[in-house]
Amino acid sequence: MLKKSIINELKYIVGETNVLTTPEALKAYSYDGTTDWQHEPDVVVFPMTTEDVSQIMKLANKEKIPVTPRGGGTNVSGGSIPILGGIVLAMTKMNRIVKIDKENLSATVEPGVVLQDLTIALAKDGLFFPPDPQSFFGATLGGIISENGGGPACVKYGVTKQYVLGLEVVLPTGEITRFGGRTIKNVVGYDLMHIFISGEGTLGIITQAELKLNPLPPAKKTIMAVYNDMADAGETVFRVLEKGIIPGKIEFLDNYIINRVEEMVPIGLPKDADAVLLFEVDGIPEAIEKEAAGITDIAKQYGAREVRPAKDQAEADQYWTARRAGFAATFGKSPTVKNEDVTVPRGMIPDLLNKIKEISKKYDVTITVLGHAGDGNLHPAILTDRKNNEHYERALKAMDEIIESAVELGGVVAGEHGIGLEKQKFFRKTMDPVAVDLMIKIKKLLDPNNIMNPNKIWD
Amino acid sequence: MKDLKELKKIEQYADSCIKCGFCTFFCPVYQEDKIETNVARGKNFLIRQILKGEQKFTKEMQDILGRCLLCKRCWFICPPKTQIDRVVMAARAQKVNEKGMGFIKRLIFSKLMSHRKLFGLFAKIVQKFQWIMPRTEGNVRHVPDFVKVMGRRNFPEFAKKFMRDRVKPVYESADGKPAKIRVGFFMGCLIDFMYPDLGLKAIEFLTRHGVEVVVPKDQNCCGIPMSTNGDFKTARMLANKNIEAFEKLNVDYIVSICATCSSGLKDYQKYLPENEEQKKRYEAFEKKIKDINEFIFDNLKIKPEDLTLKKEFQGKTATWHDPCHLVRYQNIKDQPRAILKGLNGLKYAEMPNADLCCGMGGSFSVYHYDITKKIGAKKMNGVKATGADIVVTACPGCMMSLEDSAIQNNMPQKVYHILELVE
Ligand SMILES: Cc1cc2nc3c(=O)[nH]c(=O)nc-3n(C[C@H](O)[C@H](O)[C@H](O)COP(=O)(O)OP(=O)(O)OC[C@H]3O[C@@H](n4cnc5c(N)ncnc54)[C@H](O)[C@@H]3O)c2cc1C
Ligand code: SF4
Ligand code: SF4
Repeated sequence: MLKKSIINELKYIVGETNVLTTPEALKAYSYDGTTDWQHEPDVVVFPMTTEDVSQIMKLANKEKIPVTPRGGGTNVSGGSIPILGGIVLAMTKMNRIVKIDKENLSATVEPGVVLQDLTIALAKDGLFFPPDPQSFFGATLGGIISENGGGPACVKYGVTKQYVLGLEVVLPTGEITRFGGRTIKNVVGYDLMHIFISGEGTLGIITQAELKLNPLPPAKKTIMAVYNDMADAGETVFRVLEKGIIPGKIEFLDNYIINRVEEMVPIGLPKDADAVLLFEVDGIPEAIEKEAAGITDIAKQYGAREVRPAKDQAEADQYWTARRAGFAATFGKSPTVKNEDVTVPRGMIPDLLNKIKEISKKYDVTITVLGHAGDGNLHPAILTDRKNNEHYERALKAMDEIIESAVELGGVVAGEHGIGLEKQKFFRKTMDPVAVDLMIKIKKLLDPNNIMNPNKIWD
Repeated sequence: MKDLKELKKIEQYADSCIKCGFCTFFCPVYQEDKIETNVARGKNFLIRQILKGEQKFTKEMQDILGRCLLCKRCWFICPPKTQIDRVVMAARAQKVNEKGMGFIKRLIFSKLMSHRKLFGLFAKIVQKFQWIMPRTEGNVRHVPDFVKVMGRRNFPEFAKKFMRDRVKPVYESADGKPAKIRVGFFMGCLIDFMYPDLGLKAIEFLTRHGVEVVVPKDQNCCGIPMSTNGDFKTARMLANKNIEAFEKLNVDYIVSICATCSSGLKDYQKYLPENEEQKKRYEAFEKKIKDINEFIFDNLKIKPEDLTLKKEFQGKTATWHDPCHLVRYQNIKDQPRAILKGLNGLKYAEMPNADLCCGMGGSFSVYHYDITKKIGAKKMNGVKATGADIVVTACPGCMMSLEDSAIQNNMPQKVYHILELVE
């Protein structure tokens, strides 16, 4: 519980209606996209301006109150859970698109802007922001930058960190700072901006961002390749890239997901396939026709039993809706789902897929795989039930082993969902200790009172 | 531990929420204030807390439950298809079971609206005294300025003579031949009291297309105002009365020109059954219900180009507003568009956000008129973007709300029921 005087000060800063303290509201800010993590804050505060944020941080720093920034609350690692209580700083009302600069191919946004709102606004000017986390209906730019999000499009376009030109940040002590700028090139001093990208809200609050944009490609085409063996699908991924074709997206759906998706939205996916790959090529019409033909040949050569190009955008949209539904497919079917985010170098995808199959057999648990195969980021999900102790134990062991295998194959434990609370267990195990030590020192330097999203990333 | 009968029925739906947050983008209420308790994700979570015994029906909780239009826009995108309408309605019903209805609502729902004669009488009295409300224009009046709490809200006036007093029990098919289809006509309160001409027009239209229409006298309110407010008991009583009124008539279908009524009648089976027998009865009833849009298009198979556009609409551009109770509750969206696009002499322009709720949400607009107004303004921006001359829809509730929004936003567009456009 916070002192009444502190609540009053918060109300003074942001106004009465922007401070929530009812038990109901506190409950509604106790969760994020994870199944397990939950903790109530003492107060929810909605800043409207950078100055608000600065004053709130000064107050919190003086009183040593934990502050957890929260955007859309869609992260799946426990990042926005106020695990020590204190203040949840809900950024959702700072949601203005300040400027879209067509000449400079850049946009200035506040952190609460939801990605889909930005996408719609940019499309009017023939522009787009390439990183496309599949939670775009709920995820905010502040959250996406803090998690360095990326989606299917990152095979060709890369992840969020490649599209941030500048940031305005309020430090845990309340100072307002700016990093980067509006230029593509910038080597003025240390590049400190990037520690706030994927900082998971532990180093400061992002209050404004300057984003780099691309012009919308004039044409797109979707191709589905069907496989009897998922390892062949894995091999196709790096063969296509190796042959010099860089599709906009390459996504992977396994047999389990295909069948669940068909149950939810029947669109004629091949229910007996071990896996399918979805490719999207984008660019100049003539070029993408050639690329599509190339992908078709390579997929067939490496074991696809069938390659289906979508005949029009409507059919293509269906495939991509299916891909998005894949996520729900896993979650809807089981009381507890352990969703992984392992990422391996692309050449290792077939090995990882085979390993997952083995592990699934060994521990007798269902493991579904859905993922951004194009960048080696797979989301194996273990279906289990926390209430069934014996099963849950096996699931946890399987999860450990998947992560160990990924690391052995040269990969990492988290590709895009961050560490938060969920992956802490693996953080030290898989990170260079000198690097961890440095990170902890940086955190101490910026946040001497450890109030900024405390207890995240490392325990 | 209290018995959580109503909530137990929907536990599986609330439980299926995966907290993905997709609903936040589509929820008209969340979009206005960006507060988590107002969106499906927050509601599902809090209702689960009630089920776990960790949350009570506090005043705040009741307010949160009230902040839902039941527009189902979130459901449309929700990956596991969490049935938010069921979840919220069941929670409201559970609250009523535990805490009662509140005096005024109880009076209105179970003592007034559920008794056809009495309600009619009451409506007549209101009609007699509506001169208290200043006239905005035509037959639209607004709340007097001194009643500040309501905002300057506009609504249509009560008709001079209600439909119930103008209607015959049976209308034979106009061509004199034996009718190919016999339907029961369900009026609903708003058509009865506010738009009786529209109701009579519908009957005339149907008989002209070879349909025999019967209008039972003992039909009642569809029950939606009660069930959406958690008064399942009264809603069930009305369901049973309505089924009884139509059961004995031996009709092929029961047609309504109010999207909310047709969906309400169809959904008795979804919200109200207490046992298997009731469920079967409600399900059988559901199969007979047709909204006028699907009836014209799917059952009578009338080609839009064979319909005659009324003279006054020649050369005009129309845009369509999807009533929530049509597009999401009944999956009817193509039929009205086909009709509007096919009508000779009418131009059609689709508005962005055609499926956005008008903002009324039944009694939602009584308690949260400020939010209703903001949603209405968004809707009107969509209308503006089309350059349309008229807004067409098929729900008297939406018509009321859209008319109010047009006036509030100083827009010249008038709102029509789709049937008003054709001869
Ligand atoms: C269905 C689904 C699909 C997903 N798909 C993808 C995907 O394809 N790719 C991907 O990368 N992720 C994906 N995610 C994960 C998640 O959506 C992303 O991590 C997203 O970037 C989080 O954004 P948010 O606004 O919801 O942030 P939140 O969840 O609110 O917060 C995320 C983190 O950022 C911090 N934070 C938020 N705002 C600020 C700010 N202004 N300043 C500083 N710190 C802040 C929080 O403290 C927290 O640590 C998915 C999630 C779901 C539920
Ligand atoms: S869209 Fe559905 S599953 Fe996702 S948070 Fe909303 S209600 Fe829950
Ligand atoms: S039904 Fe409508 S108002 Fe209610 S939560 Fe869903 S989108 Fe929001």
